[in-house]
This record gives sequence, structure tokens and C-alpha cells, in this order.
Amino acid sequence: MNRRWLLIIVLLVSVGVVAAILLSRLQVLAAPDQPISYSHRTHVQAGLQCLYCHTSALRSDIAGIPSLEKCMGCHSLIATDNTTVQTMAGYWQRGEPIPWTRVSKQPEFVYFSHQIHLKTGENCETCHGDIGRMSVTSASGKMDMGWCLDCHLKQPEDKIARLADCLTCHK
Amino acid sequence: MSWKAASRNQDTLQTLTKKMPPTLRRREFLKLAGVATATAGLVPAIHNFIIEPFVNPPEEELPGQATWYASTCRQCPAGCGIVVRTINGRAKKIEGNPLHPLNRGKLCARGQAGLQVLYNPDRLRNAVRQVGGRGSRQFEALYWPEALELLSSKIATLSRPERLAFLGGMMPGHAYLLITRLLEALGAGPPMIYDLQSALEGRSVAAQLSQTFFGTPDLPVYDLSQSDVVLSFGANLLETWMSPVAQSVAYGAMRQGLMGNRGLLVQFEPRLSATAASADEWIPVRPGAEGFVALAIGRIIIEERLGHVGSYRSQAVLYQNVDVRAMAAASDVPVDTLRRLARAFADADRAVAIPGGYLAGQRNGFASMLAVQALNLVVAQVGREGGVFLSNPGPTASLQHNPPANTFDEVMELTGRMKAGEIDLLLVYGTNPVFELPAAAGFAEAISRVPFVVSFSPFVDETAVWADLILPDHTYLESWGYQVPLPGADRPVVSSQQPVVRPLYDTLSTVEVLLELAARLGGKPAEALPWEDEASFLEEIIGELFGSSLAAYDARTPSGFWALWRQYGGWWSERTIQREPELNEAIQKPLPVSDPQFEGNPDDYPFHLYPYSSIILSDGRGANLPWLQETPDPMTTVQWGMWVELNPITANLLGVSDDDIVQVESPHGILEVPVVIYPGIRPDVVAIPVGQGHQDYGRFAQAVKGSNPMELVAPVTDLSTGALAWGATRVRVKPTTRKQVLARLESLDGKGRETLE
Repeated sequence: MNRRWLLIIVLLVSVGVVAAILLSRLQVLAAPDQPISYSHRTHVQAGLQCLYCHTSALRSDIAGIPSLEKCMGCHSLIATDNTTVQTMAGYWQRGEPIPWTRVSKQPEFVYFSHQIHLKTGENCETCHGDIGRMSVTSASGKMDMGWCLDCHLKQPEDKIARLADCLTCHK
Repeated sequence: MSWKAASRNQDTLQTLTKKMPPTLRRREFLKLAGVATATAGLVPAIHNFIIEPFVNPPEEELPGQATWYASTCRQCPAGCGIVVRTINGRAKKIEGNPLHPLNRGKLCARGQAGLQVLYNPDRLRNAVRQVGGRGSRQFEALYWPEALELLSSKIATLSRPERLAFLGGMMPGHAYLLITRLLEALGAGPPMIYDLQSALEGRSVAAQLSQTFFGTPDLPVYDLSQSDVVLSFGANLLETWMSPVAQSVAYGAMRQGLMGNRGLLVQFEPRLSATAASADEWIPVRPGAEGFVALAIGRIIIEERLGHVGSYRSQAVLYQNVDVRAMAAASDVPVDTLRRLARAFADADRAVAIPGGYLAGQRNGFASMLAVQALNLVVAQVGREGGVFLSNPGPTASLQHNPPANTFDEVMELTGRMKAGEIDLLLVYGTNPVFELPAAAGFAEAISRVPFVVSFSPFVDETAVWADLILPDHTYLESWGYQVPLPGADRPVVSSQQPVVRPLYDTLSTVEVLLELAARLGGKPAEALPWEDEASFLEEIIGELFGSSLAAYDARTPSGFWALWRQYGGWWSERTIQREPELNEAIQKPLPVSDPQFEGNPDDYPFHLYPYSSIILSDGRGANLPWLQETPDPMTTVQWGMWVELNPITANLLGVSDDDIVQVESPHGILEVPVVIYPGIRPDVVAIPVGQGHQDYGRFAQAVKGSNPMELVAPVTDLSTGALAWGATRVRVKPTTRKQVLARLESLDGKGRETLE
């Protein structure tokens, strides 16, 4: 009898752990909570280019998150009655940075450069998904190694040896 | 071998059980591994990365990429060029500017530690007023316009302008130019420039020496790099004296010159400094008798007609009163040694003798320095490669207006006026006189008699504690400026200083304060200082250099020049221009032979006190930087400490050993300090590094146990120059029964390694 109960408990715990792992994976893909309900869709529909805010994507490894100064460059006049814009303006007035939760992140052991990918003619959407239609920003995929290689291995043959080399990303 | 077979072997079993916990079995290992894997799987759910973009991004900021700004180091008065690596608007690393003709890409430990001035947790973050009375250390934040209004009303209501005094340290050129203009417009006396560093390196005496020899107060540049034989008389030229980084670069060139010649360096001083340790020969001269050595060497060259033919005849008159034997006896240097050195010096193709700071710190300092400089004359090395040149002055009239070091006598005259109640308003900038002047000079009492004192220090130092108002300046990494390095390089140079980061706190550049004061006061001051802000003032002064044919770079427009000026880290000539001194006729008379005098009766006070300039803390201004405090002193390897160095013979006589606390007493003060037994010091000399013993100046400076050695120093001067004779105090040393174990990286005597004989 005892043995059966033990078996059930062990099974339940195992199922729980597996479920937790799966859920946590799902959560990686889910849109995280943000301090301000910023909508990429609204901004892209208004005609903004990605590089207007993420200015350093062409010049640096990091695309960059716009400063509050940049936000206020437009929102001193535009949509000042919107409550979300007012929340943002509150940060500006207090001189506090907005603590955004990161959506897409490469691990510390990966060397990744926006500049290189944009110079080869890739679009932002190739990796970040259809972000121009997202009112809540979520990651487009797991952004793991398989996902990177999926694209790297489809490149012209003369480049594959270099693009599939470990040291290209794991320097 | 199977496990069972192994377990039969007792030795192997014991080894295995020692290395592995005996209870961990296969099943437990699997359980642990299972839990670890599950936890690892959950990690992404736990992590939440926050990114905080800038509210206002720094100029030229590119995320993840470093921006390097060229500027000028302000950790000592030398004026080396630096480049500062900044990322995300934060300064991360300071290096030497490879283009700068003075330091050529090199930088010393103090320069590297400049980041900790910027990020120091003890910086004042806004203007403050002392509310609990002066010395109470109770500060109340003050709104800047209110602070400026308070100061300008104090200036406006002075009964006479002479009742305003300005006491500063070796400041950058632009600050000095504005201060003198403002004081002149107000009708007040000129600013008083004095700090301990300038006293220890003998800056004011060096200027007077140049005046006597070359008819100009511009400091000489000794061309070490091209020299074959260098006689250094108490100049710790690889540590703190004058321009140590430039001199270290030149020393390297001298040792490993292109010609393959290895230059000879001989160091004369009572204690083996790090410079002496890098020399070929250290000659522990009797304190104050360095000049005698120089006189004797000169006399021998003349008498024996050594060296280059004809170069000595006209100089014979200089040594009329010199008796070599008497000089040898008075200096503790045998005649044979003197003769050997005279030959080496005179026979060398290029040789130079350097009168250093320790000489200037004696009561016969000027006579000694005259004797040393005369050696360069005797071997005809004035204005010759490997000899003596003069610093290039600033290339324009405004840039020639640089701070001269005032003498101790002049500071005492100001102190006297303060004591007599003749000063109503004292402004203190870039110096810490309460800590840096000998305690017996009475500055602490004098400052308490001044009704209103304003300090511009970014830190609450010993002098700022006596201020009513502290208007903290930016640190140098947040400031504008320029500096003409004096002593200079082998060509005309003006170093540029620019902010590498935005000011971290609500501080205000002192130059901005002066401009604002002038505007508030109106009238003459406003006319004398008409600039709207610091940058526009600099642009005007620096703009005068635009179009100069000498420049190392070309600019087509004034604004282009202003950009290049900041990018390069200054302005300098493309090619070498060494300024040859013109000899003053007045020196053709016998050199004075002046006996050293000391404060304190030799029977009561048997030892000479040598308060030396520390390579780590310089005159004490580095004491609030933990990187410097934890840097081992190069000779004793002590970290975070203060000590007195005793010769092993002296220590034996006193019955003390390493780390024993002794009392060091002079006619003017007494302090307790642990002993470091140091063979590299004369038995009749005890040495204490200056810079420790802070009562204020922040947590790191105050963390070190000890007293300020300036409490021992007698306020006596060399009568012929008025300079502080900081090396002319005698002391006695008494053992106590207590110990303070110093943190030392290495022991000098190899204790604990006796078995390795």
C-alpha cells in the first residue's frame, strides 16, 4: 500500500516539474509585463521607422532603447492627453529612467551584433517578427542556437563554413 | 582493478574516502542531479531582465561602444595628457595620451586613480553652508543662486577690497587667469599660490634659481633622455618631483638610448628613494650638505682641468672659496668618491646635474641649488643636448599667465594678516593649508580669526571644515580648462581639459562661480570677466592659437580648431623647439658656502626628520583614494599605513623592531607612529612619508591611523628665498611598549626565510 502511494507521489511530482519547465518556457515566449503599455503598432502605423528610436542598430552591436529625451521630443506635443503618454511624461518629470522588462535577450556567452546583421541587408522583422503589428511586444521565438543556425545554414554555400563555425558567435 | 579489489587495498580506500564524502551513493547522486536539472529548467521563469535607458543620453553616446575623450590629468601640477574611456556616459579607464609630447602615452598610478576622485563617495553633492558654527561639520544644503548671492554680497560689503584674500594651490592656467583678473578688478591683492607639493618639490626656489642663472623665472627642463651622466641632488625625479612621468620616460630613453649607451644616474640624498633605488649609485650625503658635494665636484673639475678643454677656465672664480677636503668632511662623502664622480661627470659627452626638492627644503637650500646648477655651467651643458633647457612659456600672451608658486614667507605674511584681523573674507581653492602647512605656522588659529571663509573643495577637507560656505568645484574629469605644463616638454605645449562625463552631482565649476560673481557684482569685475560661460571664455583664449604655423595639426576654421584642440588633447608644436637659456652675467662671482642649520638642539633632538613626498599619496591629496592607499609603497611595501623609517643601527640603539610604535618628538610637536626598519637610510635620519594623518577628507583618508608629520615640522625658512625649510627639523625618538602591525606586501629583511640560507 505504502509503496503505491509513494509511486503516485513520485509521479505527481515528476509531472509537476515537467509542467513547470514547459510553463516557464512558454513564459519566455509570452509578452512580459511592462511599466508602460507601449505599443509598437501605434508608432509604426504613425510612420516611424525602427531606426528613428533604435538609432544605434546600424552603428553598434546594440540596437539601443530610446532615451526619455527622445520620447519627449514628440510627446511634448503629441497625444499629451493619452494616459500612457502621461505615465511616460511622469518618469521624465521625475528624471527617472523607465525600467523596461527585456523582451529579447541573447545569453552572455553569445556574441551578437545588430550592426553586422543589418549590414547584410536583414530586416528587423526577420528576427523580431511582425513587431509593427504588435500592440504588446513579445519575443518572436526562443532565439536559441537552433533558431540562429536555421538561418545561418540557409546562406550561400561559400559562407556557411564561416557562419556555422562555433567561434563566430561563441568568441 | 575492480572496486572490490581496490577496497582491499587500505591505502587506496583511505585516499578515496578522503576525497569523496563517504555517504554519497549512486542513488543520492541521481536524485541530486534530477533536482538540479529541474531547477535549471525553471531558471528562465525566475530571471527578469530590466533595461533602463537614459533619461538624457550623454553626447556622442553609442550603446556598447567606448568613446575616448582626451583631457589633462590634474592629480599633480605636471599636466600630463590623458585619454579617458567612457561607456554609456560613464568614465571607465584613464590612460596616458600617446600623442601628448609631455608624457607620450604613459601615466602614473596617481593618474590612473583619478576615476576614484570622480566616483568618490565622500564628494560633496551640492553647495553647503556650515550651520553649527565653523568646525562643527554640520552642513546644510544650499541652493546655488542663494550661495552665489551670499558670496557676492560678502564681496560687495567688504569695507576695503584688500580685506579679501585668495589662497590657491597649483591650479590650471585658465582658473588662475580668471582669478587674477577678478581680484585685480576688485582691487584686492593677487592670489596666493601655495600647496605642500610645490613646497616639497621646491618650485618657488627653482623659479628663483632660474631667475638668478637665466634671468627668467621659467622652470628649467633637464634633458635626461640625451644625457650620459646624471647627478641628481635630492630630486626624486621618478616619483613626485616636477614632472615625474615625463622624467620617467626620459630616464627610460637614457638607460636604453638609441646609441646603445647606458646613461649613469647618481642620486645624492639621505634616504634611498625609489629613484635612488633605480640609480647606479646612491650616496647618502649628510642632510643639508648636498651643496658641498656639488661645490667639491666643481672645484675638482676646475683644479684638475677635467673634461672638455676650455670649458672650465672662465668658471674658476665660482670656486674661489671652496676647500675640497672640508667639503668632503662636512658631507660625509670621501674625497676619492668625489674625485671619481667629478671625472665621470666632466668626461661625459653630455652630463647634467639636477638640483631637487630636498635641497630646497633646507635652510641653506638656495646656496646648495646654486652650487648644483653651477656644475652645469662648468661642464658647459647649459642649452646643450643632454643638459639644461628652459620651459617654453605659453605661446600667446594670455597663455603665459600661469600660476607661480608663492613662498612660505609670503603665506606666513598672509597668515599674519589673518591673525591680526585684517582679512574679512578668505577664499580657498585647490589647496588644504590646515593640513599642508606646518602646524606650528598657526594657520588653523589664523583661519578662525577670519569672519567669513569660503572653500571650493569637492571634499570636506581639514580646511573646508573651517569654512562657512563650501561651493564644491567639479572634479577634473567633469571640468573644462587648459594648462601650459611647467616644467614643459621639448616643444611648446598647451594641454586641453574637457569634461569626459556630465557632472555627477549638483556641483559648479569654480570658474563658472567667478564669472557669475563678476556678473552679479557688475562694474569693473563684470568688464574684466565679460564671458557668458567657461566654454566661451576658453574658446576665446584658445582661439588665439588658431592659424599658428607651429601646430601639429591644421584646421581651416576657428570652430574646426576648437574641435581638434579637444580631440588631440591640446595644442603643441609639430617639431622639437628647445628653448636655450641665456646666462646671466651676474653669476660670475664666488659661490656661497653656507652651512646647514637645523631647528632643535642636537643633544636633545639627535635625528634629522625627513618628511618625504610619497609617490602614492603625493602631498596627501591622494589619501582619499582607496586604489592609492592599497598600492604598496615601492620601498617599504606598506599598504594603508603610515610609518617611520629607522636605520637598523638606530633601531638597535633604541631597542625597537618592526611594527613597534615610537614617539617622534620635535621642538614643535609630537606624534606616535610604527617603525619600519629600513637599511636605506642614514642612521642619523628618520623618514616619515607625508600624506597620512587626515582628520577629515573622507572615510578612506580618515581610516588610516596616524598623525600628520607636518605637526613636527618647524616653520623655518631659507632666509635667502623665504621657502619652507621642511627638511630642517631635528627630532628625538622614544620607544613605547605598544605595537601596530603594518600591512606589508613583502618584508625587506627576508624574515621567516632564514632556513633558505
